[in-house]
Amino acid sequence: MRARRSADLFAPPLPKRTPPAAPLKTLAPPQPVSPAAAPAELWLGVQVMIGAKQAGPDSPPELGRLATLAQRLTPRLSLAPPDGLLLEVKGSLHLFGGVDGIRREMALECARCGLRGTLALAPTPLAALTAARAGRSLLVLDPAQLIGQLSPLPLAALRWPQKLLERLAFIGVRTIGQALRLPRAGFAQRFGAAQLGELDRLTGRVSDPRERFEVRTRFRRRRELSCELDNHGALLEALGPLLTALEQFLESRQCGVLELECRLWHRGRPPSRCALRLAAPLADARRLAGLLGERLGTLALPEPVRACELRSGLPVPRVLSSAGLWQPGEHGGLSEAHSPHLIERLRARLGSEAVKGLAVLKDHRPEAAWCVREPEACSEVSHCRPLEGELAPPASRPGAPRDATRPLWLLPLPRRLTERDGLPRYRGGLRLLSEPERIETGWWDGAEVARDYYIALDIHGRRLWLFRERHPPHRWFLHGVFG
Amino acid sequence: MSSDFSECGETLPPREDRPQELARLLAHPAIWRAGRAARTQAWPTGFPALDEGLPGGGWPRSGLIEILSSRFGMGELALLMPALAAVTCRAGARWCAWIAPPLQPFAPALEACGIALERMLIVRGAPHARRSNRKESWTFEQALGSGACDIAFAWARQPPPRQLRRLHLAAQRGGTLGVLFRPSRAAREASPAVLRVGVEPLPGGARVRLLKSQGGARGAIDLEWASQASLAGRP
Repeated sequence: MRARRSADLFAPPLPKRTPPAAPLKTLAPPQPVSPAAAPAELWLGVQVMIGAKQAGPDSPPELGRLATLAQRLTPRLSLAPPDGLLLEVKGSLHLFGGVDGIRREMALECARCGLRGTLALAPTPLAALTAARAGRSLLVLDPAQLIGQLSPLPLAALRWPQKLLERLAFIGVRTIGQALRLPRAGFAQRFGAAQLGELDRLTGRVSDPRERFEVRTRFRRRRELSCELDNHGALLEALGPLLTALEQFLESRQCGVLELECRLWHRGRPPSRCALRLAAPLADARRLAGLLGERLGTLALPEPVRACELRSGLPVPRVLSSAGLWQPGEHGGLSEAHSPHLIERLRARLGSEAVKGLAVLKDHRPEAAWCVREPEACSEVSHCRPLEGELAPPASRPGAPRDATRPLWLLPLPRRLTERDGLPRYRGGLRLLSEPERIETGWWDGAEVARDYYIALDIHGRRLWLFRERHPPHRWFLHGVFG
Repeated sequence: MSSDFSECGETLPPREDRPQELARLLAHPAIWRAGRAARTQAWPTGFPALDEGLPGGGWPRSGLIEILSSRFGMGELALLMPALAAVTCRAGARWCAWIAPPLQPFAPALEACGIALERMLIVRGAPHARRSNRKESWTFEQALGSGACDIAFAWARQPPPRQLRRLHLAAQRGGTLGVLFRPSRAAREASPAVLRVGVEPLPGGARVRLLKSQGGARGAIDLEWASQASLAGRP
């Protein structure tokens, strides 16, 4: 026994069991099975019981909701209206702990939607769906066993027209196995090529492309309140279910939001809006609630709120990182992971434009030599400076001597200086320290400057950055302070 | 007797080693002996003369410090530039937050000082909103206490003493150097800041007066800006 088993390890795998006896030239000729018979795909078919109005042309909303939730199991998902759902789970088996695990998870999702479902797993989508519709929790992992397992299922599970089923029953064909044993040419002639094609897709003889389930790209949900609210705390609590729904929505896509808008509807006034801009994609309902709470705290409500609505911006893919053992800020804790929190909190309180980063532009005009930009929340990229397009390369590193010709502070607008004897004055006389530096550029974009810049010392010993216009009337302006 | 101790694992050192043992205990960072510079972790200021005078050899890494000057632009910011360049360029640098700066920090000049601009965070209220002391103070406290910043700058006219204490505690909690720029008349008021320095301009440099430093030196230190010796000589 032992010798046999060890020999098995090295021997080529035995040919798999062929499907049950099938006469030659029937619908499903026994196909040669390659040694690596693992199916390329594994489909999980779900048939759910949907109320009394089970039969309808469109997919009912329950099915859409279930599909949305089931997206966390696999990205390949398609609807089979009116009551079926198909999931390709080959790639997710390992993650969810095998076939049993994925069945358990799916059953859980059904229960969350308040639905009862029959689950079946098979290498082709139609086989999985048919088995589920026949009420069998079939489990076929090996394509070679597929036909054998499908044979006893009633033909009615294929949902063919009733008349056709009756004609088939008349010649004694009631199960799928019996239908597969009929000659192909005759079957197509008597019962239709479409049905033959369906049987081919059932057994995997031809491929069965399925339309992928696509969901709405943005989250938008409204909630009517049972009573009017004017308390910010109570309002935040009322938003809780919406935020939880948003979290599920984002989790199922492995995405986060960068923008979120909360609308509060009043009885007689236009809705109050409260927009949230985030530094990094976020999906956590609790953190979103905290930020929204900061934002709501600064919002003045003109009237009590009757309904609230949450609208998300486009979901952005989220980089999932593992949480550290230490809290940020603790000994050994990461500080960087914390940084988007600070930016988000400041933005929530002060407004979305309140927090900015700085960058240098390639321009000689002082006004155009810098710009604000989004602060980079991610620490990984911070030390390899992103320098696309117009951003200038760093002038020097810490060791290099400082270029002393530019002030640390720039006035938002140059300030006109008074003059006496052709020399500028700023709360007293000014002493010019440097040779003029001419900046004359910008003729191409309408913001032309022609100036001579000087460094000057005022009576308090401060160093200022002045310029004199090159063109008449040669006025003097203060443009910077060296600090 | 001694065997009992050794069983407990708490052996007393031999008598002749005890002074060393005492010195080791006193080297604990939380113990500050009057008359000595406090043992704080510090960022070197970039000015050797100033490093010598400051406890720990530089700006403290956490806690609130005050820089006082009679007017805006007397060299108080230039004093911090070398340290800021070193702090922002090291690996794992955190943010450097500027809370409601009175003018626009000029990015090319900052970069010329060697500062990593991507670590800068300029925080301002809405452009037309009224400047409010409370909001700025809240923002400063958030920046100090969050642990996300290495350095945070703020400009304040007359913060209440209790507010200063809160800010100082927040800075210690977050491990952040909080720099508060204040007018020099504030030197007469008490402050919980660990370090208070006054700055006056000199030709080509600045004179720094150490007004309060825990165990550090007192008096004035004259500094020269790195590359301006030549400039100052010109008429």
